[in-house]
Amino acid sequence: MKTLTVKVSRFDPERDEKPRFETYTVEVNEGARVLNVLHAIHDEEDPTLAYRYCCASGQCGSCAVRVNGVPVLACMEEARDGMTIEPLNLPVQRDLVVDISPLITSLHPLEPGEECRMPPAETVNALKPLRSCIECLACVSVCPAVEVAKFAGPTAMRQEMRLALDPRDMRDRTTQAVEEGLFTCTSCQACWKACPKEIEIPGKAIEKLRALAHKKGFSLPRHLEVAKMIEKTGRSVSRTEPTFFERIEADVFEPYCEAKATVGFFIGCMYSHRLPQTALDAVEVLRRNGIRVVIPREQVCCGSPLIRTGQLGLLEMLQRRNIEAFATRGIGTVVTMCAGCGATLKKDYPSTPFVVKDINELLDEYGIEAPERLPMVATYHDPCHLLRGQGVSEEPRRLLSKVVRLVEMPAVCCGSGGGVKSGFPDEANALGEKRRKEIEKTGAELVITSCPFCEFHIREHTDLPVKHVVSLLLEGYREKDRKRNETCPSA
Amino acid sequence: MRSSDQVECHVLVIGSGGAGIRAAIEASQYGKTVLVSKTLVGKGGCTTMAEGGYNAVLNQEDSCEVHYEDTMRGGAFLNDPRLVEILVKEAPDRMADLVRWGAVFDVTGSCEVAQRPFGGQRFPRTCYAGDRTGHEMMMTLKERLASTAVERLEEISVISLLSQGNSVCGALGLDRDGEMNVIAADSVVLATGGGTRIYDISTNSSSGTGDGYALGYRAGAELIDMEQIQFHPTGAVFPYDARGRLVTEAVRGEGGVLRNTAGERFMSRYDPERMELSTRDVVSRAIANEILAGRGTENGGVYLDVTHLPASQIESRLPVMLEQFLKFGVDIRKEPMEVAPTAHHIMGGIRIDPTCQTSLPGLFACGEVAGGVHGANRLGGNALADTQVFGKRAGESAGKAKERKIVIDEAQISLQQDRLDQYLNGEVNPAHVSGTLRTAMWEGAGIFRTGEALTRTLEVIRHLAGLRLHAASHRNLLECCTVDNMLTTASLVVRSAMIRRESRGAHVRKDIVQDWEPKNSPFGHTYLSIHRDGIEQSGGK
Repeated sequence: MKTLTVKVSRFDPERDEKPRFETYTVEVNEGARVLNVLHAIHDEEDPTLAYRYCCASGQCGSCAVRVNGVPVLACMEEARDGMTIEPLNLPVQRDLVVDISPLITSLHPLEPGEECRMPPAETVNALKPLRSCIECLACVSVCPAVEVAKFAGPTAMRQEMRLALDPRDMRDRTTQAVEEGLFTCTSCQACWKACPKEIEIPGKAIEKLRALAHKKGFSLPRHLEVAKMIEKTGRSVSRTEPTFFERIEADVFEPYCEAKATVGFFIGCMYSHRLPQTALDAVEVLRRNGIRVVIPREQVCCGSPLIRTGQLGLLEMLQRRNIEAFATRGIGTVVTMCAGCGATLKKDYPSTPFVVKDINELLDEYGIEAPERLPMVATYHDPCHLLRGQGVSEEPRRLLSKVVRLVEMPAVCCGSGGGVKSGFPDEANALGEKRRKEIEKTGAELVITSCPFCEFHIREHTDLPVKHVVSLLLEGYREKDRKRNETCPSA
Repeated sequence: MRSSDQVECHVLVIGSGGAGIRAAIEASQYGKTVLVSKTLVGKGGCTTMAEGGYNAVLNQEDSCEVHYEDTMRGGAFLNDPRLVEILVKEAPDRMADLVRWGAVFDVTGSCEVAQRPFGGQRFPRTCYAGDRTGHEMMMTLKERLASTAVERLEEISVISLLSQGNSVCGALGLDRDGEMNVIAADSVVLATGGGTRIYDISTNSSSGTGDGYALGYRAGAELIDMEQIQFHPTGAVFPYDARGRLVTEAVRGEGGVLRNTAGERFMSRYDPERMELSTRDVVSRAIANEILAGRGTENGGVYLDVTHLPASQIESRLPVMLEQFLKFGVDIRKEPMEVAPTAHHIMGGIRIDPTCQTSLPGLFACGEVAGGVHGANRLGGNALADTQVFGKRAGESAGKAKERKIVIDEAQISLQQDRLDQYLNGEVNPAHVSGTLRTAMWEGAGIFRTGEALTRTLEVIRHLAGLRLHAASHRNLLECCTVDNMLTTASLVVRSAMIRRESRGAHVRKDIVQDWEPKNSPFGHTYLSIHRDGIEQSGGK
């Protein structure tokens, strides 16, 4: 037996205006799950504690709660001393019980025809991952789009795709999904990461449905324009100033010190055409830290804007051109500084003859020269495609903490992804404004991120400067050089 | 408190597992149907947790006759032959319903539903969807249910059946706030599932508290073979709170082997022909024997090993097992599982005829709460088939029942109100009572039984039943009702076990020496009702 002290959110609709926390200390067995702690509280401390559970083996989806802010199944998550247990971020009925029935019953059922045979094995294999849903609604509870847009939510999209794939279903699910807000998803991946069954809803349902919707002519005009632009120029955005490639004279940049490694640099459309200075900053930081940088000029858009919006026609060509650009130079490691490009190269390319690393990963791995500290407080906005898309979260924090003091804020989508900024500007703005509030709460003087879409979008929703990690590092180095010159002007 | 709204319907289905939803779907074709569920619809019950599969004769080389024989032999010939005949004959049709409604079972290269071998069967006839077969069925049934006009009353627990004369005419429900709901119905289907939560170590979900047996018994229905408790051979043994969690038979179906701590494949000593795929009663006893003989692990289990199988097979056919064990720090691709028997299924239950009619007019039963289909030991894969075959039959029979004028008897409601009021003034924590009961049942009415231990256990149950349960608030009334149901169910199990003075299937009386094989047993069903109890002599009477 062991003793645990936990905080539990309590709410009695008849007495409380809003939820309050109660602290309980209970005895549980070694290896106890969160559910066993709730049982112990209910059986020994306070029998009025309300919570749902049934199977206690991760199969019915009744007991999803938030532990330390993260949705989990209470029956499968190991209990820890000091944890905070709250209901999912859905309408609370009492204590840890949320109202999930309306969401479950609104999912569309299959409409069978006369066909009475199983689909072929490949269809079954595509369907199976979408069928393992246990309707716990953790995905809906973390979806930023459902809060600000007319969106039926992640699991509804999962169900629509499941139906669209099944030859036994008689309805047009693509049109239905579009009506339910298919294009309002920012592809932030929060649903997938919250899912106890790890159902990859964005990639396996939403993007697939968008591809079907595109074929049916449902693509948004702004998304079609992007595809046209890529077809014409190889880039998803137009240039607003001299591009990165117009501003560099060489294709290879030698490091300022002994070379530790050679990498290929994948710039991405936004850093090439809209934020070229940030990309130049990155090259400087890499060179300063002993990285030899090779920049093939033939590289084009990674294809992410097309994949996220379901326009797959040009994809193979883009993939082939990018792979060739680096492969012909014999490059073993390609570094990305755009979260979206990085996630796309890593996950959406069938296979690459090189390893892809985000610039934060690379710098953290090789270690960096210490920059000068700046007397500033910064908050870090996790780009969805870096945090959830690539699992990179500690590396940028370690890097930027060498320059400034970091204050954290919740990792939530800023609203710029998935084609939402161009397709549904109101939704993107609503999410951007939510970011503004979170940023303000931190008291930071500076916002650091690692994605051009986030950088661009958050700038519209804060008065603070918004910078990429590498630009901050470079500022630290410049300050270091300045101080060195001051103390020793002859050097 | 009592809700002012009285719900009236043609058919009331109690329970939202596989049998309940199937019954409701069927009944809805005949008139207004209400499905009342103590959980959110489809989340309670054991169907959604059922992992391994659904037995149905689909292959030309298989036959209903062989499925019938396997089921009767597996059930130690205590099964009701009429019910078994229906089960094997209709299981394929009900499988076809599920396929038409969109179920995603695993398939063969020729688009047929794939089948795997399961214990006690001479043909691989267990259809599956990985190791989440029951969940797949529930997803399908819930989708189908959503296409009907069935009205749902969710998170309302039935605490009593209502009767008019000698027939059942509705039920009294209790919602989460402790408010009573009156539901009047021309016919009522009990589909409340099983009750092995009365044991300390059990695979059942929180809803497996035997509510239906208790409701039926109190209303006057007759139950049979309640001593027949299936102990599934393979339940998890650690951590402590996960003891009893089901480790599916599909693990052995896919080729998993059992070993004791000496590394011996001990099933060769108990059933050399069928080995790990012997019937569950045999495998459970073998494991229990090995552990009692000191050849078990420190955690009190034996090894179940699939490490010799390709990782890809484990990942695609046993994904839930892989995920669950990983959560507890065991990678079953690389190391063996530790398992021990766990209370799983009640073969006995409310006596039904082939139309699912119980001994009470107006009351039908299907699924685990009904008795007779599985005899003294259920074959793995026959329960999911049972839910669909008899779920449909019960829904149809209840639907075809005549409409009638129902007058609710206020006296029955006040009786329940008094019962609830007593809980509010009670003294004893219901959680403590159920804990004591579970331990007593595990120790005294488990895999191996004696008359003496059963008598002692019945005394414990009677003592517990005499305590005054305490509800801390109106919202805690239901807990008291549930513990009451558990006590009633436990007493039915123990009384029947005392009545059956032979070893048969899952019921083993260590204190009785017998010289007959199950097939030649002089005994038939045990039976219990508020009016009578006893055991039938072989041949039926």
